[in-house]
Amino acid sequence: MDLVIGIGNLLRRDDGIGPRVAEALRVSPSVSACAVCELVPELVLRLRDARRVLFVDADARGTDVRLGRVRDEGSRWGHTLGPEGLLELAARAFGSAPDAWVLSVPGFDFGYGEGLSDRAEGFVPQAVERASRWLSEGQVSADGA
Amino acid sequence: MEREIRIDPVTRVEGHGKITLHLDKKGDVRDARFHVTELRGFEEFCVGRTVWEMPALTARICGICPVSHILASARAGDAILAVRVPDAAHLLRRLMNLGQLVQSHALSFFYLSAPDLFLGWASDPAKRNVLGLAEARGDLTRKGIRLRAFGQETIERLGGKRIHPAWAVPGGVSRPLGRADRDWIASQVPEALDTIRTTLRLFKETFSTAEECTVLGDFPSLYVGLVTDDGAWEHYGGVLRVVDAKGKPLVDGLDPARYEDVIGEAAEPWSYLKFPFYRPLGYPKGMYRVGPLGRLNVCDRFGTPEADAELEEFRARGSGRSGRVFDYHYARLIEILASLEQMKTVLEDERLLTPRVRAEAGINAEVGVGVHEAPRGTLIHHYWVDPNGVVTAANLIVSTGHNNLAMNRSILEIARRTIKDGAFDEGILNRIEGGIRAFDPCLSCSVHALGRLPLEVEVVGPEGAVVQTLVRD
Repeated sequence: MDLVIGIGNLLRRDDGIGPRVAEALRVSPSVSACAVCELVPELVLRLRDARRVLFVDADARGTDVRLGRVRDEGSRWGHTLGPEGLLELAARAFGSAPDAWVLSVPGFDFGYGEGLSDRAEGFVPQAVERASRWLSEGQVSADGA
Repeated sequence: MEREIRIDPVTRVEGHGKITLHLDKKGDVRDARFHVTELRGFEEFCVGRTVWEMPALTARICGICPVSHILASARAGDAILAVRVPDAAHLLRRLMNLGQLVQSHALSFFYLSAPDLFLGWASDPAKRNVLGLAEARGDLTRKGIRLRAFGQETIERLGGKRIHPAWAVPGGVSRPLGRADRDWIASQVPEALDTIRTTLRLFKETFSTAEECTVLGDFPSLYVGLVTDDGAWEHYGGVLRVVDAKGKPLVDGLDPARYEDVIGEAAEPWSYLKFPFYRPLGYPKGMYRVGPLGRLNVCDRFGTPEADAELEEFRARGSGRSGRVFDYHYARLIEILASLEQMKTVLEDERLLTPRVRAEAGINAEVGVGVHEAPRGTLIHHYWVDPNGVVTAANLIVSTGHNNLAMNRSILEIARRTIKDGAFDEGILNRIEGGIRAFDPCLSCSVHALGRLPLEVEVVGPEGAVVQTLVRD
């Protein structure tokens, strides 16, 4: 099972691009997709059943859609929970964590409001295509790797 | 020279606050204050919205307790419509609140407080979190995660989503529960019960001495909460009861809509959180507590066998009504057990699946009060509306606010006990934070009185000295 997790708040404009991409993907019996406002510890129950996981998230400093591995840099556990911390929790609580990737999509407007900015909207097709390719390929290389 | 120690921010609580400890010239603690430093202001911007919008609107107060606000708001709306809410809707709301109690208490205990309790107050702060807990107590962590997930899933099965489900409405709920979802929830209850039994056993084995259980302060106060008409634990409906430190009722059988007869509200210039107090004793003498410990101290019994046995043991260990702040953790676990037992009862009631779940009506009253028990304590939504149902004024007394005086008392007790001659370390400061954490405050839920609080602004110079103080009374 491959799992796609779109991260973001739909009420903060371009922050909602992760959920938008996750919901646009065509799911199948071997693919599961979900949208979350933020990562929470309970998500390890979904990671436990996944072979691979793709986090889709807005990138305030990004200029292009980029795919990369979630790097194991040791957990920085604080007020917020990132993909690295979630994977580490899965590994410690359940003994293993799936092969994990992150798809970063540029965002420009993170103010209050619904809907993406025109500039962010322009990156959605490319992000969906990149995520679909990740799903269809067993072996993936990170962008720029 | 007098000194001030700041703990900023207070961690592993919901919302933003800080603690200041004021030391005298000798280095002993003169005063301790818990400052809530954020402002939400919902009492103000609810004005001008219709009563039908209020549940969905006030749900946005919080991402942890949206269910609590939805239900209190819907109950205030019921009073304004003056309708008879269908039995199925009452049962469904009750079931959702039980799910909310389970998920919120599980979050508080397993994610926020268990690292202190099972890794140690002075353990490495870098590991004193749920990740460190997973390393040291893998089984406990797994069970805690699954328990919270069950509570969240129950809410989602009822309301369509886990956070901010716009589901309870004035007059009932927006959709019935399907049999498959009812059966799924019922199928998960046995595992959840097993988890809480195991956790309660572990907690009681680990914390068995009086010294461990008084570490967060032990002081008398009043307690406030809902009970059934015959004095049993209640979380949805019922009547208000106020008891003294020994459990003697001072007020009993009070219609919750008349909460203002017994609860007054004060404010201090150093916090955005109001200070409710028991009106007959005045401020600040009228300190009372709500939430898990408050509910256990006001009720005569739970009305379910396992929780009643635990309540009996709880009172035996604490010699009656407990004043120990630490016992909030213990009470929270017992309430999870009670909630799961009550879920079983509700799930077996065939009226739960009845399709009629909402009564429709226009505006039949100009004032409505909705009171119910949120995980953190008694939650009050009070609305005034015009003939079209547009809100003209709102008063929200949120669970965390009721405990404001007691939270300040708790950190003062801990600080005085642990800081001598100005000496302290990180473990001591964490224990002081733990005094706040035990109440499981939800600060983002509780700060709404925009423009009505006095304000004090300190201008601090580059050397750290206060140059000017501006005060708005």
